[in-house]
Amino acid sequence: MALLKLALRNLRRNRRRTAITFVALVAGVGAMVAIKGFINGQRRQILENQMRGNLGALQVHKKGYVENVLGSPLTLDFADTPELRAKVAAVPGVKAVSPRIEFGAQLSTPDKKPLPEDGSELPEADRGITSFLMLTAFDPALERQVTPKRWEWLGAGRGEMLQSATAEQLVLNDDFARGVDVPMWKAGAELPPIEQRLAVLAPDRDSSLNGVNVVMIGAIASATPNDRRVGVISLGAAQQLLRMEGRVTEYGVDVDLKLDLEQVRGAVAAAVGPDYEVHTWEQRIPFVKDIVETQDFIFGIVSSILLFVVLLGVVNAMLMSVLERVREIGTMLAVGMKRRQIVSLFIAEGIVLGLVGGALGALLGWAWVSYMNSKGISIPAPGAKVPSLLRPSVDVLFVARAILQATAGAALASLWPAWRASRLRPVEALAHT
Amino acid sequence: MRTLVLCLVSSLAFAAEPTAQEILAKYDAVMGPGTFEAQTEMTATREDGSARTYGMRFLKRDADKFRVWFSEPASVKGQEILRLGDNAWVYLPNLKRATRIANRDSFQGGDFNNADVLRVNYTADYDAVLVPSDKADALTVELKAKSTETAYDKIRLTVRKGDLQPLKGEYFGTSGQMIRSATFSEHKEFEKGFVRPARIVMQNEVVKARKSEMVTKSFKLNVDAPPQRFMQADLGK
Repeated sequence: MALLKLALRNLRRNRRRTAITFVALVAGVGAMVAIKGFINGQRRQILENQMRGNLGALQVHKKGYVENVLGSPLTLDFADTPELRAKVAAVPGVKAVSPRIEFGAQLSTPDKKPLPEDGSELPEADRGITSFLMLTAFDPALERQVTPKRWEWLGAGRGEMLQSATAEQLVLNDDFARGVDVPMWKAGAELPPIEQRLAVLAPDRDSSLNGVNVVMIGAIASATPNDRRVGVISLGAAQQLLRMEGRVTEYGVDVDLKLDLEQVRGAVAAAVGPDYEVHTWEQRIPFVKDIVETQDFIFGIVSSILLFVVLLGVVNAMLMSVLERVREIGTMLAVGMKRRQIVSLFIAEGIVLGLVGGALGALLGWAWVSYMNSKGISIPAPGAKVPSLLRPSVDVLFVARAILQATAGAALASLWPAWRASRLRPVEALAHT
Repeated sequence: MRTLVLCLVSSLAFAAEPTAQEILAKYDAVMGPGTFEAQTEMTATREDGSARTYGMRFLKRDADKFRVWFSEPASVKGQEILRLGDNAWVYLPNLKRATRIANRDSFQGGDFNNADVLRVNYTADYDAVLVPSDKADALTVELKAKSTETAYDKIRLTVRKGDLQPLKGEYFGTSGQMIRSATFSEHKEFEKGFVRPARIVMQNEVVKARKSEMVTKSFKLNVDAPPQRFMQADLGK
């Protein structure tokens, strides 16, 4: 205790130097906490966009679907019965259920000009194009309760959402629709003649080619990574196209987020039985794992450099302090202070510096994160064109760890200056000027 | 380089060994003769073990004009395909119109490519060199795509020595991976002097459980193929 008091007093002796080191520590640790908070917020943003805009909190599939998602998942479908929907909806915490079909299709746009009478070819620029894309089919009234962000993103795009569960309409990603120049139909206007509509072609459940005439009624702005070659179509039109009347490939499920999602997942899985599999949204998006790993790696490097620079400052300050106090150390050694105690004294000074500086920095960082969390930062999620609110957050454990790192680091940084101090010879030290 | 190749080619000709070009020309003549009409059946086996048989009639005129009419099963009855050079259309009865389709599409959910069935013109699409064959009484050529527009990046084609009838084809994608392999068998004289394999089994090498078998029921050369059959407006008529 006496040691601590002595350390505090020593730190106060050269206030300017202590203050500079202190500020460096506060800024370093504060920045570390703030950056971490920002990264966490960004991660949350990606995940929430996926949950509220693509997947829904939970997804119910036929057993084996997710494993075979690249194969021919249309055969791993199930009958969409009122009983099954009721079973899922009855689970406590489940707020809404939306039946969907996910499938790959080919979009064929009409030629921009009629074919020449003489049988010659149209110039390339006037020909319609064919393009592959992934389609999600749903009933807009049900889907809106599960992934309301689609409607938000449509607002940042063009046109309208599918008008009914059976509409022969299509909503595409805006970048994709502009890229392949898909004509848009204004809701309410007279439908174009059949040969001027879009055709969606796809192998049906038995892999026989089938098609449906549709119009594009809206375009959704890009909001999540990897969402360019995608679109949505009404469930009815898809079931007709794929010859899957009354059948779907998945249920999107909205869940009360105040409850533990994993627990609700378990309850839904128990309710639908062993023929089905239930996943949470986090389990369905592997690319988020890559983003998280990259971010963690970069954050690790940045925070290491930050800490290293700050601690170099601590080393320098402590060394200065040792050199200034040579005579004093000589006196202490001469009156019988043990070398071990000299080491402890300087390390204690480092610890106090690290603890107070680190704690204040972490606190400031945390305060910024908390303030921004309630206010929100309006920037697009990575890979998105739609602005959304980023809410930074850090957990208490990270804050505590940052303080601990600063303290331990400062102690470590004082080790060499302290050792040098303890190695002084009393006689020479006393004679030092 | 060019003279070297020419020297090689001529020396091979002297040795009475067919050149890579001759093998390609023979393949095109056998698999994609100028004008013909054929009745075929394709059975597609999918990864879940289910199989489906499609009945179809082909009509070809000149090098690059094709029509296909599907008759079986009920779900595809009335569907038609027209191909003119680089353009392809499909007519679906429930769409009541023709729409453009991509060239690389699989042919009715089977493992044949539109390009395998409708456009057989290896001489125009690929550069070929003879390579050592793993079979004793066979010759193998390696085909390299001349442009990125072709269905495959590389093909290894093995033909019978003597009559140069195709035995085996291995088809590679841009990554160098084998995508499909074909076995040609039951070589049959459909018309006097015209021999062609009556059975082709196309094995999907990516999803091994998938394969398609095409059996030719009849094959008539030099039939009447009026030009109006190869107009987009004729689809569905």
